[in-house]
Amino acid sequence: MQILRNVFRRKLRVFLTIFGITIGVLALVVMGSMAEKINLLVSGGTRYYSDKVTVAADGSAGMFSISPLSLTKYDDIKAVPGVAEVSGQIGTLLSTESGASFGMPAMIGGSDMRGDELESFKVTYSDGRALTPADVGSVVVGSDLVKQLGAEVGGYVTVRDERFEVVGILDKTLTAPDTSVWMTLPDAQRLFVQDLPEMIRSQIDETDLVTSFVVYPTPGTDPEQLAALINESVDGVEATGPSAFQEQIANTTQVFNMILYGIAIISLIVGGLSVINTMTMSVSERTREIGVRKAIGASDGQIVRQFLAEAGVIGFIGGISGLAIGWIAATAVNAALESSNLNLFLVTPRLAIGAVVFAVVLGLLSGLYPSLHAARMKPVDALRYE
Amino acid sequence: MPILIKGLDVHKRYVMSKDNYVDALQGASVEVEEGEMVAVMGPSGSGKSTLLHILGCLDSLNAGEVWLGGRRVDDLNGRDLTQLRRNDVGFIFQTFNLVSSLNALENVTLAAQYAGKGRRDAQEAARQALDRVGLADRQRHRPSELSGGQQQRVAVARALVNGPKVIFGDEPTGNLDSTSSDEIVTMMHEINHGTGTTFVLVTHDPGVAEACDRVVHMLDGRVTDPG
Repeated sequence: MQILRNVFRRKLRVFLTIFGITIGVLALVVMGSMAEKINLLVSGGTRYYSDKVTVAADGSAGMFSISPLSLTKYDDIKAVPGVAEVSGQIGTLLSTESGASFGMPAMIGGSDMRGDELESFKVTYSDGRALTPADVGSVVVGSDLVKQLGAEVGGYVTVRDERFEVVGILDKTLTAPDTSVWMTLPDAQRLFVQDLPEMIRSQIDETDLVTSFVVYPTPGTDPEQLAALINESVDGVEATGPSAFQEQIANTTQVFNMILYGIAIISLIVGGLSVINTMTMSVSERTREIGVRKAIGASDGQIVRQFLAEAGVIGFIGGISGLAIGWIAATAVNAALESSNLNLFLVTPRLAIGAVVFAVVLGLLSGLYPSLHAARMKPVDALRYE
Repeated sequence: MPILIKGLDVHKRYVMSKDNYVDALQGASVEVEEGEMVAVMGPSGSGKSTLLHILGCLDSLNAGEVWLGGRRVDDLNGRDLTQLRRNDVGFIFQTFNLVSSLNALENVTLAAQYAGKGRRDAQEAARQALDRVGLADRQRHRPSELSGGQQQRVAVARALVNGPKVIFGDEPTGNLDSTSSDEIVTMMHEINHGTGTTFVLVTHDPGVAEACDRVVHMLDGRVTDPG
């Protein structure tokens, strides 16, 4: 109580200081929740790609290719030693209207579902069931798209102007499947080809098309070596192993994360400087009080603890309010962007606790110098201070 | 009565810069017996307050010796000095020097807590001390809500709360009107007689000097008349 009373002795100044910390923590929470969201997306991807090889058309954009590839490559790839199963896949954007997008765009995923039993990245269903190859005209919907598409099991959703029956809704995975609609390969092939220019469309057979193959290695086969082997033995394709995802995505997002956290840390340092300033002023204003306290028996340690406690309280209040505002802001922005399925922020418990702890530690560190300075004064010098 | 406080040939120089210094004490010597109430008088700048601060272990000296209760104290380390301030000496100041954000009870409790008492015991001791100085009904008042005389009573209670051997007063009546001064002096006199607590009071006030057993006179950093 006495600590709080001392902290709020100079209301405006303390308010401004707390506000400084609040802004810093707010930045940390907002930037951090963005980074956390991306981290989970990436770690999901890393997990998904960790044990398989992705094959795309040669010279295409690699694993996220949307360039068509002929299904005839299936047999060639399957024949490569070390390949357990090959699955033909179509990946294409859910919406054909292009627009600036941040994070993971909503996708349509089509698969022939060969090798599903070998898939180590298991998904679970909050409602309904998994697709089977016989489910032409049906879809499974990712959790983030449920609201946008108005999906419910047994009902119908409209994807690229076609109606599909919903047979399953995925549990939240916090990674790519959340923003995907899954369908059978023939359905996906049809949608994919519809979107191609007329001239190309007339020249190709839509049932022969995939955008990538997922290759499941036999047990004990190294996916990187298998990728190299496929590149050697099959013409016109580009196979990549798990490290490609690391290199292409994880490393760039890591840089992005560092920038996000960097911005947040800088704003926190500014907040910390204002705590130093406030505590220094508070100490010099109360120099006489320190002299009195020492004259009546306070030890250096007791003086340090008193001022550190005040600085820690400033940090704590700033941390809590920054977290609260940041959480509200993140939730509000997420809610506002829900219709465009842009889930930007994720305030994780470790981020929330980390932000508050960081603010308290920052307050304590900032209070340390003024406190030590105060404690080391000779009582008579402190008493004489005007 | 045995000697409680002894200052022996105490020198103190305040250095403002290389060529600018003041020799506040130039070989001051003084002795105070247990249970005495002593006034220290002298013109401004004669070194009274400096001597008081050094005897009370609030300031260091450049040469000489200070003894308190048969123990040499001028060479103690910080921790021992803190212990000494907690248990053996009390201070009263001209400007009262209460902590403005704390009420009367909290101000007195603070000193008892620094001395190692638990919260409850410290509060009880503080209540008794406030009762003794006649402020039982002003415990919850902040210093700004008390008159000068009342604030000084709180300061006396604070000095008293740990049962010190000696209470040092630096112009304790300097900021008080004559009525309040008389009350404070009478109170200190009663405490001195009642508990045997030694008082050393730096003062300009003849009323204070009159109430004391003895008046020590100082001039130019030396004791000119031990009284």
